[in-house]
Amino acid sequence: MVPLILRILARLALGLLVLIALAPILWTALGAFKELRDIVTPVPKLFFTPTLDNFATILGNPTIRDGLVNSVLVVAASVGIGALLGIPAAHTLARHMRRRGDDIQFFVLSLRFMPPVAIAIPFIVIYLDLGIYDSLGGLILVYLVTTISTMIWLATPAFERVPPEIEEAAAMEGCSEAEVFWRISLPVAAPSLFGALVFTFVLVWNELLLALTLAAQNATLPVVAASITSLGKEVPWGVINAATVVLVLPPLFFIGLLMGLINSMIRSGGRTKG
Amino acid sequence: MAHIECSGIVKSYGAHPVIDGLNLMIPDHEFVVFLGPSGCGKSTMLRMIAGLEEVTAGRISIGGADVTNRHPGQRGVAMVFQSYALYPHMTVADNITFGLRRAGVPGPEIDRRLGEVARMLGLEPMLNRKPKAMSGGQQQRVAMARAMIKTPKVFLFDEPLSNLDAKLREKLRTEIRKMHNSLKTTTIFVTHDQLEAMTIADRIVLMRAGAIEQQGTPDEIFDRPATRFVADFIGSPSMNFRLGRIERGAAVAGSVRIPLPPGRFAVAEGQEVELGLRPTRMERVSPGAEGAITGRVSLIENMGAEGQIIAEVDGADMSFVTRDFRGLSIGDPVSFALSPDHLHIFDRATGRSCLA
Ligand SMILES: Nc1ncnc2c1ncn2[C@@H]1O[C@H](COP(=O)(O)OP(=O)(O)O)[C@@H](O)[C@H]1O
Ligand SMILES: [Mg+2]
Repeated sequence: MVPLILRILARLALGLLVLIALAPILWTALGAFKELRDIVTPVPKLFFTPTLDNFATILGNPTIRDGLVNSVLVVAASVGIGALLGIPAAHTLARHMRRRGDDIQFFVLSLRFMPPVAIAIPFIVIYLDLGIYDSLGGLILVYLVTTISTMIWLATPAFERVPPEIEEAAAMEGCSEAEVFWRISLPVAAPSLFGALVFTFVLVWNELLLALTLAAQNATLPVVAASITSLGKEVPWGVINAATVVLVLPPLFFIGLLMGLINSMIRSGGRTKG
Repeated sequence: MAHIECSGIVKSYGAHPVIDGLNLMIPDHEFVVFLGPSGCGKSTMLRMIAGLEEVTAGRISIGGADVTNRHPGQRGVAMVFQSYALYPHMTVADNITFGLRRAGVPGPEIDRRLGEVARMLGLEPMLNRKPKAMSGGQQQRVAMARAMIKTPKVFLFDEPLSNLDAKLREKLRTEIRKMHNSLKTTTIFVTHDQLEAMTIADRIVLMRAGAIEQQGTPDEIFDRPATRFVADFIGSPSMNFRLGRIERGAAVAGSVRIPLPPGRFAVAEGQEVELGLRPTRMERVSPGAEGAITGRVSLIENMGAEGQIIAEVDGADMSFVTRDFRGLSIGDPVSFALSPDHLHIFDRATGRSCLA
């Protein structure tokens, strides 16, 4: 009896904590559907007539729309290429460079020690010289430093946890190294790699400073969101809330997509019927 | 089916050779056990035959074809690992058929062979399970099925039973031997357990520090050990050793005096030797009998049908095994003797057996 009560109390406490943690986000999401006068009332309103005007404003505003498109392009490219190069590199590190691995791991990590500002200013000069200042390509290039190094750093331990005998067993069945990687190591390590991908994605999706300094016309969504307060004399709270929701949705969508992909990858190691 | 030939095999990690110029010939259909203490190079040798490890020097051929530089998948060998090494993301059936599916064997053929090996190893009820949901013994059966379904020319086992508990180990050991009796596929089995080696092998290759110390049938290894090292490694309880010398047609060590059977040993009068007495080859005798060893009981280990007596002889322990142990208690004087055809004498300097 007592344990049951305790368990219920623990659940309640947990629920309360989650509510407190999520309250600002929920309030923001709610605010995205409110008209300005519903937001700025002295008494907060929980019931109101919802409107999609804020989203219409956001998606109708070319700056924000372009920001969204730019963000999706830049992040997709830098995370995609980062994973494409970083994951096989991590596998090689985990398997063939055991002794040197720690040094390389530390070097890769040390890339992340530097404050972004320290990179940003020299990059402005270099990019201006190269003529790639304020281009999506330039932004992707600088983000690759982050994505490749983070992917390697997080994926190497994931591959180290794959027992070498499993790969050897596959080699004994005639698999080439590439086949072993593709059919055994990758699916087995996939659940851990998932975390690495999400972390990398979030890192660049939220990146503000480099995007702010290296691009002017081709701003990404965080830059646009940061500058949105100057849209009008009155602070357009509803629009800001809607912009936040738009900023938060893609990562959620991306995580869902990735989970599906991983599930199918784990299953594809098995028998393919038909 | 194929014979295996290894000639002049050298394997070095850095400057230090782990295997140093090893030659080995394994005839077709034979069940060979690589036996030796941990770290002596058994796994390294097996992995070189499998192709998982490159040789530093030497050639390996299987069935007459030089496979030294062939990919592991092109050697016609299948391996079972100590840690099972099943693919965790596949079901049992998919684990077993992975190699065949990869090689593009037609579906009905795969299903037929899967049914066959699953029946042989009793895996039919669990074909759709994931390895994680199975016991160690079941997982190792799956690994064996995965090796068998390829109908390889050679089976390689690297300590496949070491992660299992004693009972299961015995059961699976019997199954592996039975499987070999019916399939007759050339097999190399690595273990550090001398009892496992004795019970399962056609021939034992006993290794020490990267070289072959002795090879032969279990009987040869047990009854005619070529060196003190082999004599010490094989047999449980392990052999008693005494430093002694040859005096007037007998081997003498303190109060122990054992007459030499004529023609059994090539020894010289006065030679410094080490005597080896197997506990299982000794029996209680009446005091004063020919070759009797007398001591005081210091410990009795009841093993059920037999007992191991540890007696103090000349201030050091000597053990022997007898059925007639129940009347004895600690401190009693006891006399026992070695059956004369089972004395071992080793040269003290070289450790080599003096058997003629
Ligand atoms: N990858 C390696 N790098 C360096 N030394 C190794 C490596 N693999 C094995 N060794 C050494 O080779 C020797 C033989 O190892 P192994 O064949 O695994 O022994 P066993 O299987 O008989 O226990 C050991 O001394 C071990 O330390
Ligand atoms: Mg080993």
